[in-house]
Amino acid sequence: MIGYDIINYGWKSLRGYPARTLLMLLAMSISVASVLVLTALGEGARRYVKDEFTSLGTNLVIVLPGRNETTGAGLNTMMGVTPRDLTLDDARALTRHRSVKRIAPLNVGAVEASWQNRKREITLLGSTHDLIKIRQWKMDRGRFLPQMDWDRASPVCVIGKKIRQEIFGPHEALGQWIRLGQHRFRVIGIMASEGRSIGMDVEETVIIPVASAQSLLNTPSLFRILIESKTRASMQSVIDFAVATIRERHHGEEDVTVITQDAVLQTFDRILTTLTYAVGGIAAISLGVAGILIMNVMLVAVSQRTAEIGLIKALGASRRQILRLILTEAVLLSCIGALIGFSIGIAGSWGIRAALPDLQAYPPTWAMLASFLVALLTGLLFSLLPARKAARLDPVLALQRH
Amino acid sequence: MLTRDFLHLTSSAILTHKLRSFLTMLGISVGIAAVVILTSIGEGLHKFIVAEFTQFGTTLVAINPGKTSTMGMSMGVFGTERPLTIEDAEALSRLSFAKSVVGFIQGNAEVEGNDRTRRTTVYGTGHDFPTAFSMPVSSGQFLPDDDPRAPRALAVLGSKVRDELFGNSNPIGKRIRIGGDRYRIVGVMESKGQVLGFDLDDTVYIPLARGLEMFNRDGLVEIDVLYHEGIDEKKVVAGIKRLLKSRHGREDFTITTQQQMLDVMGSILDIITFAVAAIGAISLLVGAIGIITIMTISVAERTSEIGLIRALGGRYSQILLLFLGEAVVLSAIGGVVGLAAGIGIGQLLSLMIPALPVHTPWTYVVLAEVTAVLIGLAAGVFPAMRAARLDPVEALRAE
Amino acid sequence: MIRLEEIHRDFQVGDQVVHALDDINLEIGQGDYVSVMGPSGSGKSTLLNLIGILDHASSGRYFLNQQNVTDMDELEESRARNQHIGFVFQSFHLVPRLTAAENIELPLILAGIHADQRRRLVGEALETLSLTDRAEHTPDQLSGGQRQRVAIARATITEPTVLLADEPTGNLDQHSGAEVIQTLEALNEKGITLIIVTHDLKLGNRSLRSLEMVDGRIVSDHTQ
Repeated sequence: MIGYDIINYGWKSLRGYPARTLLMLLAMSISVASVLVLTALGEGARRYVKDEFTSLGTNLVIVLPGRNETTGAGLNTMMGVTPRDLTLDDARALTRHRSVKRIAPLNVGAVEASWQNRKREITLLGSTHDLIKIRQWKMDRGRFLPQMDWDRASPVCVIGKKIRQEIFGPHEALGQWIRLGQHRFRVIGIMASEGRSIGMDVEETVIIPVASAQSLLNTPSLFRILIESKTRASMQSVIDFAVATIRERHHGEEDVTVITQDAVLQTFDRILTTLTYAVGGIAAISLGVAGILIMNVMLVAVSQRTAEIGLIKALGASRRQILRLILTEAVLLSCIGALIGFSIGIAGSWGIRAALPDLQAYPPTWAMLASFLVALLTGLLFSLLPARKAARLDPVLALQRH
Repeated sequence: MLTRDFLHLTSSAILTHKLRSFLTMLGISVGIAAVVILTSIGEGLHKFIVAEFTQFGTTLVAINPGKTSTMGMSMGVFGTERPLTIEDAEALSRLSFAKSVVGFIQGNAEVEGNDRTRRTTVYGTGHDFPTAFSMPVSSGQFLPDDDPRAPRALAVLGSKVRDELFGNSNPIGKRIRIGGDRYRIVGVMESKGQVLGFDLDDTVYIPLARGLEMFNRDGLVEIDVLYHEGIDEKKVVAGIKRLLKSRHGREDFTITTQQQMLDVMGSILDIITFAVAAIGAISLLVGAIGIITIMTISVAERTSEIGLIRALGGRYSQILLLFLGEAVVLSAIGGVVGLAAGIGIGQLLSLMIPALPVHTPWTYVVLAEVTAVLIGLAAGVFPAMRAARLDPVEALRAE
Repeated sequence: MIRLEEIHRDFQVGDQVVHALDDINLEIGQGDYVSVMGPSGSGKSTLLNLIGILDHASSGRYFLNQQNVTDMDELEESRARNQHIGFVFQSFHLVPRLTAAENIELPLILAGIHADQRRRLVGEALETLSLTDRAEHTPDQLSGGQRQRVAIARATITEPTVLLADEPTGNLDQHSGAEVIQTLEALNEKGITLIIVTHDLKLGNRSLRSLEMVDGRIVSDHTQ
C-alpha cells in the first residue's frame, strides 16, 4: 500500500460518515480558529501600544521631578512635587549636551476656557516651539507656538480640534481671543486630530507658552522635561548627562527620575506578550478537547468497523498497515480541521482589523505554527489508542462479528 | 414513563459504552474546569481589589481640583489656577455630616535622620488622617490637632522609612530633616504594604501647611471627607458641591465617592472575568460538539432499538426524552467532575502561588452545573430529534 | 375487529410509484388465526406494519376494535400499539444491553406502570414461558428459541388483542421453531388474534385462515 492509497482509503472512510466527520472538523477548526483570533487580538493590542509609544517621539528621554528608592519611576513619583522645583533654567542647562537635539519643558494643568458665553474645562499644556517636533504632532490649520525666549509669557495658544468644535462651533477660531482662567490668549493654530497618544488627548488640549502656563497655574516648577536625543545610541549618555546636570544644579541632591519610553514600552510589551501567550494557551485547551473527541470517534469507528478490519487482515494487511490506516485517517481529519480553522482564524482577524482599524490584529507566526502543529499532534496522539486497538484485532474473531 | 425508569434506561445506555461515555464527559469536564478556574481567579481578584479599597472605610468622599477630563483623571491634580485650599478643608469640616476632613499634599523629598538619607514620598496632611483612612499608628501618636495654619514641625514615619533610617531603635522624639527642614518624630505608622501600586510604608507624614510651604504650593491635591454612617451618600455629595461652589463661584473640582471607584473597578474586572470565561468556554463549545457527535453515532447505532420502542408503543416524545436524557446525564456528570477538578486546581494554584487570589462563589458552582446541563440539552436536541423522527418501519429494518 | 377498507399503500421509488398494497379489503375477527403467505415483495410485511399502525395507508380506512385508526394522532397511535398490538420479529429485536426481564418490561415502562406491578406481571410472563431462570440473562446469553420466547413475552405483556408475527421462525432451527409456534398457538387458543407472515408452507397450513398475496393484492383467502 503506497501513501496515496492510504490517504485515499482514509478519505473514503471519513466520507462514509459525513455527519460525524463534519462535526469533528467543526470542533478542530473552532479550536484552531479561536487560538488564531485571540492571539491576533493580543498581537494587535501589543502593536497598538507600541505605536502609541513610538508616537510619543523617537529617542525620547523624559525627566520628571521626584525619585523613589524602592519603586523607581512608580506611581509614588507620578505627582512630581519636590521641595526644590525643576525649573526652566534646569531645562535650559540640559541643552548643553551635544547629543541633545531638541528640548521641550512641559507644564500640565486644568483650567476653564471660555469664549463669548461658551465654557469648558480643558487640559492646559505649557511648552515651547519644539514640542510639536518632539511629539511628532501635526497642525490642522495655523501654526504652532513660535520660536521665542522660554521665559517670555506670550498671549498666544494652539487648540485641539474638539475644543475648537465645542467652543467656537461654526465660527472661525483662528485669530480669536479665548479666555483661559484669568488671562486672554489669541488662537494661532489648531492641532490635527491624529495626535492621540497615551495619557493625553490632544483634541481636548490647549497649548500655550511655558512661561504663560507657569504664571497661569501659579507654579515655578515644571511637570516634565522632554529631551530628544540625536541618535538612539547616544540616549544613555543624555540620560547620564541629565542626571548629573540636575544633581549639580540641585546642590548634589538627586531628586529627579530620568526614563526613556523604551523602558516603559518594554514593560508593556512584556505584559501584553505574556497576556497573548496566556489567552492563546487558554484557547488551546479546546484543542485538547477536540483531541479527546477524535479519540472517542476513532474508537467507535474501530469497533464499528471490526468486520472490515478483520477482512483487510484476512486479505493480508499487516498490523503496521492497519495502524497506519487509522492514524492516517485521524491526521487527515485534524489536518483538514486545522486548515479550515486556519482560514476562519485568518478571516476572523481580518474582520477585527476591518471593524477596528486601529488594531493591527495579525495572528503572530508562532501562534499559526503552534496551532497547526498542536492540532496535528493531538490528532496523532489521540488516535494512537484506537489505532493500536484496531491493529491488535484478532482477524478470526473480527470476521465472526457479522 | 416514570422518572426512575427513564433514568434507568438512560444510564444503562451510558454504561454500555463506558469508555465512550467517559471520553464524552471528559470533554465537558475539561471545558467546565477551565471556565471555573478562570472565573475563580477573576472573582478572587475582584474580592482582593474590593478589600484593598474598602480597608479605608466606605463612607469616604474624595475631592480633587479641576473637573474630570476624558482620561478619567483630572489634570487639575498637577496644577490649576483655582486650587483647593486649607480654608476649603476647614469649611468642609464644619458641614454637619462630616465626621472628619483630611486635606492632602503629596510630594517627594529627601529625608535625613540618624545619619542616613532616603528619598521618599511625603504626605502633608491633618490630624484626622488615621481615623479617616483606618490607618493606625504602631507607636507614639499621629500629628496633633494644631492650628492648621501654623502647625508645629512634627512628623510621623511610615514603617519602611523607620526601618531604613532607624533600624530597630526607637525613633520617637528624634529629630530628622525633611526637604531640608527640621522635624521631630512623634509616631510611627503600622505597616500597610503596597496598595494598588502605592507603597504606603515608604512615606513620611507632616502637617499640611508645612507640606504646602515645603513644596511651594498653595493648592491641595485632595481633600477627603469621612461622613457619619447612615447618611445618604447623595446628600453628602450634594452638600459638598453646594459649599465648594459657593466658595469658588463655580464647579472647578471633582468629587469621587468610594462607591463610584468600586463600581468602576468592579465593572472593569467583571468585563475581564467575563472575557476570560468566554475564552475558556470555547473548550466547552468543543465539548458540546463532542456530545453531538457521540449522540449522533449512538442514534445511528441504535436505529433498530428505536424502531422496536416505537413498535412497542413508545411515543415520539418518549424517544426524544430518552436521547435528550442521555446527553444531559453525560454533560451533567461531566460538569460535576469538571467543577470538582476546577475548584481543586484553583485551590492548588492558590496554594502554590499565594499572591494569586482564588475564590469560587457558590453561585458560580451552581451556574457552571446549570450551564453543563443546558449544554447537554442543546447538544442533545439535534440527535434526539433525529432519533424521534425515524420512520419506525425503516428503523426496524436496520441491522 | 380488524377491518381494512379499500386500503392502498404506494411508495415512491425513484421516479416510479410502487403499489405495495393495492385495494385491500379485509376483515379479521377476534381470536382468529390468520397466516399471510406470498413471494418476497408481495406486500405481506407492509400489510403487517399497517395493521400494527407502524405504517400508514396512502388511502382507505382501517378500523381496529371499532376505532378509526386513520384519524388517530401520534399519541393515540402509540397508545394503541402499546395496548392492543404485540409484535414478534424474525430477528427478535431484543435490546442487547437489557436483561430478558427488562426487555419484557419495556412496554409496561412505556405505559407508565408502577414497578411493583411490573415485577409481578413480568414474573408471571416468565413463568408461563418457562424462562424464570433466564430472567437476568442478556440476549447474547440466550439461545435463539429462548430469545424469541422472550420477544413473545414482551409482545403479550400488555395483553394486546392482536399479535403480529413476521417470519417468527425464520432465524430458528426446526426444534426451536416448533416450540415458538406452539407458544404462539397456545396464546391464540386463549383468545388473542394471531396473524403470522411466513414463507413456510407447512406453517401457513396450520392456520385456520390463510391469505395469499401477490403484487400487493390478496389473491386468495382460504378458510379451512
